[in-house]
Amino acid sequence: MSIAFLALCILWLALITYAVLGGADFGAGIWDLFAVGERRRHQRKLINQAIGPVWEANHVWLIFLIVGLFTVFPSAFALLTVALFIPLTIVLIGIVLRGAAFIFRTYELDASSRSAEVWSRIFSTSSLITPFFLGTSAAAVASGQLAIANGNATTDLGAVWFSPFAITIGLMAVALCATLAAVYLTVEASLYGEPDLARTYRTRALIAGAITAVLGALGLLQSPFAAPQLWDGLIARALPVVIITMLIGLATAALLYWRRYRLARIMIILETAFVLGSWGLSQYPYLIPPHVTIANSANDPSVILALLISIAVGMAILLPSLYYLFSVFKLPYPVPGKTEEVQALTDETSR
Amino acid sequence: MSNLLAARAQMGTSLAFHIIFSALGVGLPLLLCIAEGLALKYKDPSWMLLTRRWAKAAAILFAIGAVSGTILSFELGLLWPTYTKFAGAVVGLPFALEGFAFFIEAIFLGLYLYGWDRLSPRAHWFCSFPIWISGLASAWFIVSVNSWMNTPAGFVFKNGKVVDINPWQAMFNPATPYETIHMMLSCYVATGFAVAAVYAFSMLRGKRTAYHWKALRLAMAVGAIAIPLQIISGDANARFLATAQPYKLAAMEGVFHTASGVPLSIGGWADPNTQKVYYAFEVPYGLSILAKGDPHATIKGLDAYPRNDWPIVTATHLSFDGMVGAGFFALLIGVLFWYFAWRKKRAWQEHRWMLLGILLTGPLSFLAIELGWMVTEFGRQPWVIVGYLRTANAATTAPGLNISFSLFALIYLLLSFALIRLLLRLARAPFPPIKLPWSATPYTYQGDQAETSTERAGV
Repeated sequence: MSIAFLALCILWLALITYAVLGGADFGAGIWDLFAVGERRRHQRKLINQAIGPVWEANHVWLIFLIVGLFTVFPSAFALLTVALFIPLTIVLIGIVLRGAAFIFRTYELDASSRSAEVWSRIFSTSSLITPFFLGTSAAAVASGQLAIANGNATTDLGAVWFSPFAITIGLMAVALCATLAAVYLTVEASLYGEPDLARTYRTRALIAGAITAVLGALGLLQSPFAAPQLWDGLIARALPVVIITMLIGLATAALLYWRRYRLARIMIILETAFVLGSWGLSQYPYLIPPHVTIANSANDPSVILALLISIAVGMAILLPSLYYLFSVFKLPYPVPGKTEEVQALTDETSR
Repeated sequence: MSNLLAARAQMGTSLAFHIIFSALGVGLPLLLCIAEGLALKYKDPSWMLLTRRWAKAAAILFAIGAVSGTILSFELGLLWPTYTKFAGAVVGLPFALEGFAFFIEAIFLGLYLYGWDRLSPRAHWFCSFPIWISGLASAWFIVSVNSWMNTPAGFVFKNGKVVDINPWQAMFNPATPYETIHMMLSCYVATGFAVAAVYAFSMLRGKRTAYHWKALRLAMAVGAIAIPLQIISGDANARFLATAQPYKLAAMEGVFHTASGVPLSIGGWADPNTQKVYYAFEVPYGLSILAKGDPHATIKGLDAYPRNDWPIVTATHLSFDGMVGAGFFALLIGVLFWYFAWRKKRAWQEHRWMLLGILLTGPLSFLAIELGWMVTEFGRQPWVIVGYLRTANAATTAPGLNISFSLFALIYLLLSFALIRLLLRLARAPFPPIKLPWSATPYTYQGDQAETSTERAGV
């Protein structure tokens, strides 16, 4: 196993983590769009409480992914930024507006004011647009149709990243984010003593999950001709993983149906990991099919080694910090520094 | 606009915008940490009130810093793919390490801003330490990349390919200690004086309470400690440039001809066409003394370099003198304020003219950051990586850069407008009651007059 492959596996794990955490933050924004009627204020408060403390940290996984990619595969990164200039620029605008609008609406003094309403709309719309274009960009890479020749890329004007296949995958990404968020929000709503909201999000999670599954199936059906190389890899290597992915999806739905929200949360995280894992497995050993491989775009091994050492040291500080953050806001386990009242509250609701 | 110009305009706007928030992101956490520490130590409600106020502003400023920083990390690739291919191979490591530092900052920021009721007072205060430490670390890592662009190291360029890469050597390149320390200090200077300016403004409008006075003195302490160190660091930078990047120093000082006993030109218009500096105030032998410590030392002028390798001389010289001017003005204000304190002349510290001076220093310090950054960027042109990659060859081939630049310019305008509006409204909002960790009853701010009279009686 080459050191570049090892680094790619770590980057892929970071991608999965970003999808599971950052994706859910986008999903929460999407549900904000559907927050109407009398219970809107409740729903928005729940969403603010759920993503407020963690969204900035979740967002950093994307930064980590980008700098990791351009350190380990500098030439592949340069090709992607040229070829996918348009969707990535839209993604960037989406990310900026999402973050800024969320913070503006949270700190707007009067939550029912007109400007708070405008920021809420910007927040939810950009939360919808960003995962869509991230999905179409991923599909464009997987399709193997990006115009790359002799180490130079041409900017794609939409023929590849806005093909029916790419649109299907983009929509699937949106649906998956919405499912993730809805499942998490069932847990959050029960934690904050809002059983009605928990039921609402249970229904939504089931619907969004079903849509994700349908879109995923549509994507698979298109693959043999829209992304032939990916399809071949899938048949050759990833078939068992794809089948497991489908089974996990069914298990998530069943757990939601029986209102085992915490277990469903674990299952939907696994589901996301398996979706991305089967993509990676099908595409191996190509970074950008059909020409750019792990081997022909990897950086000098000494640089990758230095990066891996730094990642190991960094993670030794990062992971305990991250665990602390999630323990204080999301997990029921006691940690030092958490006030007793908060611990008592979480103990009670998790029982 | 040409592709190159549009790319430069977009990158320049993005950096000019982001640098404000990154400086505050480094400086404000230290103020929060000190203020909360003082509140807990002296069980003082007004320190706690200040901490809560600053934390609110910090939440908004940091979020804008995070999103504008994301723009930059994308733009490195979207606008300068050739640069990123080259730089990613060599200095990807400090970028990744900066990512980690940012991660730690974001995690503890979440704990700090949302953890008031979930963490014990001491645990909450402890959470402020990783924020300012990792903020400093971020600044160091990112600026080490800029240093590398000025004095590239840690690789061999052979047959159009980068080989024999040593990422550690690249990160610790010759310019790193000079540039990084200068940037880190600038964050404390700017944040200190900017926060002081806010409270000087309130005091000028008659709100002379213990609360405002505490905020002013803490901010002035941070700014006034940082500014003399910053001037010493600036001097070290200039000496370093005299040997490492003489063309940059020549552009900063407007030196066109190599000579000995070179005067220091303060201000003026450095014209590269006539190779003269107009309307400058000249200090005889000044530059030779400052750069080399000898009045007759030889200073390399721009004539030692081919014309098409010259930096953007006029802008570099003006930016440099503007930065230095702002820095010395801040030094004067800081020294005066604490001199009066030492002589126990509180009335002079609070004097209208003193407060007006502080009010002016706030924006000037941020102007100094912007100008200092322009010095290093204009002074490095026409190169993006000195000696290896010209800026003109680094821009993307993607179409529609004009549209992209216009879109981002619009976004920055929108964000600035919304941010200023929100911060002003926050500043004007009445103080909500806050929970004090050492008392069962929430504390409500008693209003301006009451506290002023008791405080004054004590003086």
